[in-house]
Amino acid sequence: MPDSMGPNPGPVPGDAPVIAGAAVDEPTGGPVDGEARSMFRLGLEVFVQNRLAVVGAGVIVFFLLFCFVGPLIYHTDQVHTNLMLSNGAPGGAHPFGTDASGYDELGRLMYGGQASLEVGLAAAVLASVVGTLYGAIAGYLGGWVDSVMMRLVDGGFAIPPLFLLLVLSAIFHPNRWEMIVIIAALSWLGAARLVRGEALSLRVREYVQAVRVMGGSSMRAVLKHVAPNAIGTVVVFASFAVADAILLLAFLGYLGLGLQPPQTDWGGMLSDAINYINSGYWWLLYPPGIAIILVAISFNFLGDALRDAFEVRLRGR
Amino acid sequence: MSVGLHSVQEPEPEMVLEVEDLYTEIYLRRRVVHAVDGVSLSIRAGETLGIVGESGCGKSMTAMSIMQLLPPGGHITGGSVRLGGVDLLSLPESEMRKRRGSDIGMIFQDPLTSLNPTMTIGAQIAEAVHLHRDVSRAKAMDRAVEVLDMVGIAQARKRIEDYPHQFSGGMRQRVVIAIALACEPRLLIADEPTTALDVTIQAQILDLIERLRRELGMAVMLVTHDLGVIAGHADRVSVVYAGRVVENAGTDDLFARPQHRYTQALFNAMPERAGDSGESLLNIPGLPPDLSLPQTGCRFAARCQFAQSDCRASYPPLEEVAGSRSPGHRFACFHPVGKTAPIELVRTRFAERNNVEPVTLLQVEHLEKDFPITHGVLQRKIGAVSAVADVSFGVSRGRTFGLVGESGCGKTTTGRLLCGLDLPTNGVVRVEGADVARWKGKEGRRRRRSVQFMFQDSYASLDPRMRIGSILREPLEIQGIGNRRSQEKTVRELLGSVGLPYGARERYAHELSGGQRQRVGLARALALEPSLIVADEPVSALDVSVQAQILNLMRELQNTRDVTYVLISHDLGVVRYLSDTIGVMYLGKLVEIGPADDVYLHPAHPYTHGLIEAIPGVDPSRERQAVPVLGELPSAANPPSGCRFRTRCPFAQEICALEEPVLEPTGTAGHRVACHFPLKTGGPSPIRYRRT
Amino acid sequence: MIGFLIRRVLQAIVVLFVVSVITFILLHMLPGGEARAVLGVKATPVQIAAFNHTNGLDKSLPVQYVEWLGQVLQGHLGYSYHLNQTVASLIAEKLPKTIVLNAIALIISVGLAIPIGIRQAVKRNKAFDYAATGLSFIFYSSPIFFLALVLVLWFSLDLGWLPSEAPQSGSVVGILSQPTELVLPVLTLVLAQIALFSRYMRSSFMDGLVQDYVRTAKAKGASDLRVQYLHILRNSLIPMATLIGLSLPGILGGALIVEQVFNYPGMGLLFWQEAQVNDYPVLLGVTLIGGAATVVGNLIADVLYGVLDPRVRY
Repeated sequence: MPDSMGPNPGPVPGDAPVIAGAAVDEPTGGPVDGEARSMFRLGLEVFVQNRLAVVGAGVIVFFLLFCFVGPLIYHTDQVHTNLMLSNGAPGGAHPFGTDASGYDELGRLMYGGQASLEVGLAAAVLASVVGTLYGAIAGYLGGWVDSVMMRLVDGGFAIPPLFLLLVLSAIFHPNRWEMIVIIAALSWLGAARLVRGEALSLRVREYVQAVRVMGGSSMRAVLKHVAPNAIGTVVVFASFAVADAILLLAFLGYLGLGLQPPQTDWGGMLSDAINYINSGYWWLLYPPGIAIILVAISFNFLGDALRDAFEVRLRGR
Repeated sequence: MSVGLHSVQEPEPEMVLEVEDLYTEIYLRRRVVHAVDGVSLSIRAGETLGIVGESGCGKSMTAMSIMQLLPPGGHITGGSVRLGGVDLLSLPESEMRKRRGSDIGMIFQDPLTSLNPTMTIGAQIAEAVHLHRDVSRAKAMDRAVEVLDMVGIAQARKRIEDYPHQFSGGMRQRVVIAIALACEPRLLIADEPTTALDVTIQAQILDLIERLRRELGMAVMLVTHDLGVIAGHADRVSVVYAGRVVENAGTDDLFARPQHRYTQALFNAMPERAGDSGESLLNIPGLPPDLSLPQTGCRFAARCQFAQSDCRASYPPLEEVAGSRSPGHRFACFHPVGKTAPIELVRTRFAERNNVEPVTLLQVEHLEKDFPITHGVLQRKIGAVSAVADVSFGVSRGRTFGLVGESGCGKTTTGRLLCGLDLPTNGVVRVEGADVARWKGKEGRRRRRSVQFMFQDSYASLDPRMRIGSILREPLEIQGIGNRRSQEKTVRELLGSVGLPYGARERYAHELSGGQRQRVGLARALALEPSLIVADEPVSALDVSVQAQILNLMRELQNTRDVTYVLISHDLGVVRYLSDTIGVMYLGKLVEIGPADDVYLHPAHPYTHGLIEAIPGVDPSRERQAVPVLGELPSAANPPSGCRFRTRCPFAQEICALEEPVLEPTGTAGHRVACHFPLKTGGPSPIRYRRT
Repeated sequence: MIGFLIRRVLQAIVVLFVVSVITFILLHMLPGGEARAVLGVKATPVQIAAFNHTNGLDKSLPVQYVEWLGQVLQGHLGYSYHLNQTVASLIAEKLPKTIVLNAIALIISVGLAIPIGIRQAVKRNKAFDYAATGLSFIFYSSPIFFLALVLVLWFSLDLGWLPSEAPQSGSVVGILSQPTELVLPVLTLVLAQIALFSRYMRSSFMDGLVQDYVRTAKAKGASDLRVQYLHILRNSLIPMATLIGLSLPGILGGALIVEQVFNYPGMGLLFWQEAQVNDYPVLLGVTLIGGAATVVGNLIADVLYGVLDPRVRY
């Protein structure tokens, strides 16, 4: 900030401007420094201080590179089965071994990861967008419309998602895009409930009411004040939703209702591994399982840290 | 009031608490706050010591250090705390625990959160007994009933089965006191015991503490930011600033002859002191120092008008006043009030109001607002809370109307109705002749600029994600006033006029102090050059020194900008300082209205009288009457018939329940009261006694 | 309290109604409708029309819904042509077993999560807290079937300590009489649930630790342990009750997987098996019951909430 502590335009009698020592009227006032620190900067600071979150972000970047750039460097055939190579132990040309169809396990991990990450991210984004709009509309309109809309969400919440997922995929035998829609159809409910609650609480905040006093329209209040302040909630939700979506996809793959071969995802790979659990082919089981856990845990770390970061605004009090 | 001040050579009561050279530090993530920095004090049995200071000065930390209940990261790093001769700091935690609750009792600021919501109050009191006395469960409960009765809770035997949420705030504070007193402690520490309470309830609680101190012969340590509370209820006072005791004296002596410049400044900042003199409050510039930074010299020097180079070089020792009438008056100041040649304190005199025939700006006619109470799944309406009931008044241009009352009296609702934030159930609000409720649509929004609102909570009313510059420009953008450049210019002017540097426009609300935020709130309200500003408790969240800054600013801007205020506050002192006319509200009704001084000096309604009487006086020598406002506020959903105040009125007669009194003229012109038995006015006020 | 309960029951009824509508809509999303599901893919249009007519499926949707709801309310959940049995009798047979498995797991996980969470909150940012937090993140982020498989691999196949299959007995008593067979399925569920509950208990208890009433209790001379277990515990259990109610759908989902992995003869296994063969009446019946179970579970949580928190007892 170039001149944030610019020349003093003449104080009122008896009151020295003390911007720099701001917030020392609280017993544990903030440090004195001459730089204006935005919410974003403060949030970023908290985020970076959270080492787990930084590790999580690192792991996510690693897996994105691994799955999408990896195959460009490490070429494998993931289309044609080769039963000659069936269930080979790790070593030599196949550092992670091969699976029952003779696919290279390391290559397959990249290939399956593409599906898991794509579906996970896309489903989370879709769910967040739909849920946010739905929740915002319910919260904004209020009254009986809100009641009806939210009872629908309650109903959706009451049905165990895995049951619904199974029924839906049994009905549709989904491809990758339908899979995204189905998973999003299950997880938008959370976003709807969160955003609606946030909208209700923001609507009565004094700074939103202040807009009315100034003669501003409701539209302005929503766009300028409610939405920017609710965005944090949505981002945090989306982060957790990615983890959930990846897990849901894995369940489907595991239950044999996921992508059809030769396509696969990490859950599907685990499903294949079970057939050989008695044979001691551990290299089929651990890599996809650990990959799922690492990615899911990273997104959970991220969500946790983002939540802390967005709550920074409360620290100013 | 003070035990043994004038008594003849009785043996001095034993010393209960002696704190010597106490140091407490709080370790935060990046720095160490020196919260208590060498505090010494002592209290005898049967004596009340007041600890006074602004927030963050270390007064609460001193209390918590004595209890050894410091927040995480808090450590006592030096000094001694002796209770009845035993050094508490050398005791192991298990021994200290035995003394908490038995030898030392403590009461806290917020009675709403100080009790465990899931335990009956009987169990919570009995627990204190159980922990320290080897008694049966039934005996402990008996004791609980006994103390509940002692703190004035009716039907104690029945009420021990109740949970805290079944009590009002004032009643809960009585329960907290009962817990503290269950084992008859030798020392009672009261940390801001009445700050969260309404003024009439505050008086009840303070009187209760005083009565119990007399009955039980306890030593009491009364921690507060409010000099008024000290005045009525302490024998001696220690003034604390930045973790140190700066002055120590008998209450009468301190109020009559304050020595330390900080003490003097605190007195000068009190609106009650400015009275009707038409003078500005002498505020204390700036803010207390950051206690995590190293300090040299007098802590107050940076804000002191009298500071000289010696003040900044070394810390002044705590010295006895030479030839003081009461021994023990000590202070730490190189240039005290008494010693220095009197410097003319520059009090700005506010310009006299022009006495041209005033033009009515705001007219409120028969204003009513009900909030429905709904029940059940279908949200069936089963009743209504009558928040505002038939309120009428008018305000002239350029004047200030003060609306006073306790929480729940409908004053905030009235404020919201004035600026169209809520719509009235009945009645009209006219500003410059136009009905506020009809300000709808585009044209209505444009007209709204003539009435602006100043919120109580400056933090909640500023969008945390916007810079101050954008916040101040927003009203101009909404109303489409000027282009970006001229808006920037207006922002600069606004910041200047509320005493903030232009650099503040780059800041976010959380980076400003409470006082600075309230300045921004005022600047925003002024941005549209409204004719009327409704200010809802604009200073209630601020320390007295900062409060004075804001009040002066409001007054100054009124003179320069010809703006009209409706000032809503629970604090009669604040209202009187700024207002030309005062309206007193009780349970949705306007019970008294009139010229500010007239209402303040000659209240005609028993409730107004009670409010004034309940303000802990700034003058400790003033004898106080028994609390005249009885009991607690009835529910607005089912207000009493006739006069709504009758259930708490000492003069209520049969007619009060049958017939609702209307506002009728009394005393001076313009003074009206709604009471069947108004207090007599004229001559010396019957309620202002002075001790001989 | 009574008024509070009545409100909750009415709300639950509304939610149940929504659940039934969703289930009904799913029924009609089936490709070719129920007829094709029952008669198979090769059924002719004439056969389908005849089936639709006899079963009232040619009526308007709202009429069908009302009729279907009437059936459901009488306990007629449909007929499984695949298993040749009514859905109601199938559920009556499987549901108790699922309840037993989940109740055992839930009791153990809540019983462990509470002290773990408390210790984490009290010893915040110490080794125990870090370890517990790390583990709970791992378990929370693991697909439950992977957890189950790893446990089987280690404790059953490698070490040979425990059987890899759940008790196969037809009766609840029979199942309970084979505790060693129950260990792995219960352990899987417990690990997954503890991760969530302990995390929540930790934050709930941490909120409690900074409350003003804690200071009041300490000022009375109460010891830390007394403050924690007498004062904070009950207050921090209040949000836990709600959380457990809310996580029931997830718990039931987890049970589905665990039953499948360990071949435990409950509703989850039934559901999975019938999903393989598109036995829609069973799928929908179980879904409906799952929704109902959640609603009832939430109701129980609400009652608990009322018991724990005197403020809702009006």
